[in-house]
Amino acid sequence: MARGFRRKFKPLEIVTEEEVNAIHQGALEVLWKTGVLVEHERALNLFKENGCKVDFEKRRVRIPPALVEECLRKAPSSFCVKARDPKDDLIIGGDTVYFTNFPGMQTLDLNTWEPRTPTRKEYYDLVTILDALPNLHFFTCYPYFGFEDVPEVMKIPEGIVAKMRNSTMVNLCCYSNDCEIFTIKMVKVIEGMEAFGAGHSAPPLSFSSEMMESLFRYIEADFPIWAGGGPVMGGTTPVTIAGSIVVTNAEMIAYVVLTQLIKPGARVMVHDYALPINMRTGAPNFGAIEAFVHQAIFNQIWRRYGVPPVATSAGPVSSKKMDFQCGYEKAFSALIAALTGANVIQFSGGIYGELTAHPIQAILDDDIAGMVGRFIEGAEVNDETLAIDLIEKVGPIPGHYLNKAHTRKWWKKEYFMPKVADKLTLSEWLKTGKKDCLDYARERTQEILATHKPKLLTENQENAIENILKEEREYYRKKGLISDTEWATYKKDLESPNYPYA
Amino acid sequence: MLKGFTRNFPLFKILTEEQVEAVHRGTLDVLQETGVSVYNERALKAFKKASCDVNFETKRVKFPPGLVEECLRKAPSSFRVKARNPKHDLIIGPGNILFFNFPGTGTVDLDIWEPRTATEKEHVDLIRVLDALPNVHFLNAYPYFGFSGGIPEIMKEIEGVALRMRNSTKVTVAIANNDIDMFTIKMARAAGTEIFANPNTSSPLTYYTDQVNACFLAAEYDLPSMIWDGATSGGTAPASLAGAVVLTNAELIPFIVLIQLLNPGARVSVANLVLAQNMTNGAPAFGEIGVSLHNVAFNQVWRKYGIPTVCSSCGPTSSKRIDFQLGYQKMMPAILSAISGSSVLQLYSSIYGEITAHPIQALLDDDIAGMIGSFLEGIEVSDESLAIDLINEVGPIPGHYLNKAHTRKWWKKEQFVPQVADRLTYPEWIRADKKSCIDYAKERMGEILAVHKVDPPLTDSQEEDIERILKEARECYKKKGLIPDKEWEIYKKTLRESGRPY
Repeated sequence: MARGFRRKFKPLEIVTEEEVNAIHQGALEVLWKTGVLVEHERALNLFKENGCKVDFEKRRVRIPPALVEECLRKAPSSFCVKARDPKDDLIIGGDTVYFTNFPGMQTLDLNTWEPRTPTRKEYYDLVTILDALPNLHFFTCYPYFGFEDVPEVMKIPEGIVAKMRNSTMVNLCCYSNDCEIFTIKMVKVIEGMEAFGAGHSAPPLSFSSEMMESLFRYIEADFPIWAGGGPVMGGTTPVTIAGSIVVTNAEMIAYVVLTQLIKPGARVMVHDYALPINMRTGAPNFGAIEAFVHQAIFNQIWRRYGVPPVATSAGPVSSKKMDFQCGYEKAFSALIAALTGANVIQFSGGIYGELTAHPIQAILDDDIAGMVGRFIEGAEVNDETLAIDLIEKVGPIPGHYLNKAHTRKWWKKEYFMPKVADKLTLSEWLKTGKKDCLDYARERTQEILATHKPKLLTENQENAIENILKEEREYYRKKGLISDTEWATYKKDLESPNYPYA
Repeated sequence: MLKGFTRNFPLFKILTEEQVEAVHRGTLDVLQETGVSVYNERALKAFKKASCDVNFETKRVKFPPGLVEECLRKAPSSFRVKARNPKHDLIIGPGNILFFNFPGTGTVDLDIWEPRTATEKEHVDLIRVLDALPNVHFLNAYPYFGFSGGIPEIMKEIEGVALRMRNSTKVTVAIANNDIDMFTIKMARAAGTEIFANPNTSSPLTYYTDQVNACFLAAEYDLPSMIWDGATSGGTAPASLAGAVVLTNAELIPFIVLIQLLNPGARVSVANLVLAQNMTNGAPAFGEIGVSLHNVAFNQVWRKYGIPTVCSSCGPTSSKRIDFQLGYQKMMPAILSAISGSSVLQLYSSIYGEITAHPIQALLDDDIAGMIGSFLEGIEVSDESLAIDLINEVGPIPGHYLNKAHTRKWWKKEQFVPQVADRLTYPEWIRADKKSCIDYAKERMGEILAVHKVDPPLTDSQEEDIERILKEARECYKKKGLIPDKEWEIYKKTLRESGRPY
């Protein structure tokens, strides 16, 4: 099992019980009075059968408070997810904190700091590196949105397969153009392996038909669900953090209700990814304090609901470079998420917005994840760590602790040495070419790619998955979702002797 | 009075009540059984008179627990410190969080990232930037250790204090090395401001005479004290965090006892600069995360004692540059100390260890402080901010919040706008020459230096007093032989050429 990190103290709470109640009551009122828009016939019927007020014409569902409370109770507060290799199995919930990657549409040119589409090889390399990182426990969607020469509709499927090939960690599967039909088949190729199905609300208070259809498919295939929204405070929710949480909660509650109506006890976790609007540019502000406060309160409430919260706003920043700003924005978000009770922190590899990701960034982030993990595991307080006898034995100057067995034993336990931070003294640093953390991360990238060998799929699994991919390509060709020009480029890539670069 | 930031939620804690008790009992035990070495006759006598067990030959003092607890009780849990300009007066105590700077020996060249001695102008520029920043509530000693031009070692910080009196109206700190505080405290009095006395412990459990003298000066002039401890865990303190807290506390308490014996009710605060030992190179590992566990536990114990704490470990990092690593190494200890009850955070301007500092860094740190402050102050949960009626009115898609009066009213209240962060979208960023936070900080530094004026400047008679005290100091140390003739000649030339005062 992937151990993750265990928080050894009570989570930080930044709002009072009364304030939590006010937000909860607000969400219940919104769900009952205004309700949510659900563009899906089967979902509307299911809501109706379970006592919701449903307007089929306007596709509006109003959910009674009692049903909400019942469904929140039914959702498990912790659950297992099985990986391809049991060492990567997850137990989501409780005081465990896992880190996962944050995707970017594209990779980043480290010289010009401009985004560009990655190659197939770069995609597979990123997966390999993420697989190797000690403080990364499973995958989200992508990590890049496809790679060169892949038709739009095949981007998600090719990505899923890359992750299955080059990693044994649990995966998150998206939905789009029915791709989940094929994804579910692929996951089932590997006996006993599970993956998350993704689902999102469309703020404010709406759910698309495509998403709803995939939700039914995933739950019926017994996938655990990773639900979330992505509202903009001031755009698709009120600009106030309290008001924004009311909307987010109403959406996520509606979502959880539906999962439990489809299958009581279905595994579900919910993420928070609310961003404040930048009133000057109209774009969202990534890495912003308001998002982290939102997240902190969200975690506090969803822990109370007993549904594991996921911190998604921890991943992206507003800096375009791997610089000071990127460092503090990432550190702040990850730390606050972990302290306030997130069970999963979506974090590593993401840089600006959802536009860029990079293996170097993932390696840098792994140190932050390690530091956050080290912190939440706390410090032991017992006779041995208090070390009163030792302190009395050493006494004042010239006494010291360097040559003590106690020091030898405890320093490694108590302190965390980041892998790619510059830890040198000034003179050592000058002698070694003034390397910074990016230089060390570059070196580590090469090391990982040279030495890390992800456990391969068996030949049978590989063939079965390749066949499903083929089927999927044909399905989209037939549907006209892969144009002839797209297909020509894609075919060249598929026929390359290097395919599939795993 | 400077407001500082208010923490609007309960303290973050990692120790149980029982663990706090265990640390306290251990501390009392060390003070009673092992005691401390005090190399100062007057102090030994004062301790003796207060019924401590004093060995005048070995300089060892052992403290009865009753006396310790009595003196801890006598120290006020919050207090005011008067600045030259009353708008810079400080209130140090629970729930109010202030920031100040962490010094560097010298500045850093931003092109080659190598340290060098600051010029006098650079020294003044840093003071002016710190004076101008609203979230720098007072100034530490230095901010650089002297400046170029052949200033004799002993005069460096005395000249530095004169520069601070001339260029800032914020409270500052008087270091005690070589008893220079005899002069600097007089200077502060001449300028009409209070100054912190700054006795430093020497780990483990030792006190040198000049540091002890600072306590006598604090009593004589009724000054507030900031007592400093900078043990290295694994070197001069146990490697286990709990043991390091016991040692730190056992070192800080004797100064508090002495100060309270000399001046009952005197204002004291304790500064924690515990660092971890890097066992691979023997140097302190700046920016290490275990240190934050130490600091959080430390805060928890001192909150029980009712004595304000200062977090110094959020200042220095192990990065040599203003980069990603520096960002996370500054942010993590700062936020952890702020939520766990530090009254003061020593965050601004420092880069590597105690070696380098820079005004650009101070401007970058100002955004970190602002974010932390904004997090601490939390959110408003009210009918208006919950906005239930508005949410019901807007409803699902195509409803949105952009054109609502509520958004216009609240966005400024709810959003923190960093001063020098890159918050552009990609197209804007490319059009604006791909500026990063460092570029913005450089621009802001230029703006501040162009307009900022010290308010009020020293009066002519205050200026004369300061010159007179400087002269006294120079003559005193010349006579004492601490300024050799050769240094004296260069120094005199520098003084003539500088055309001081400014």
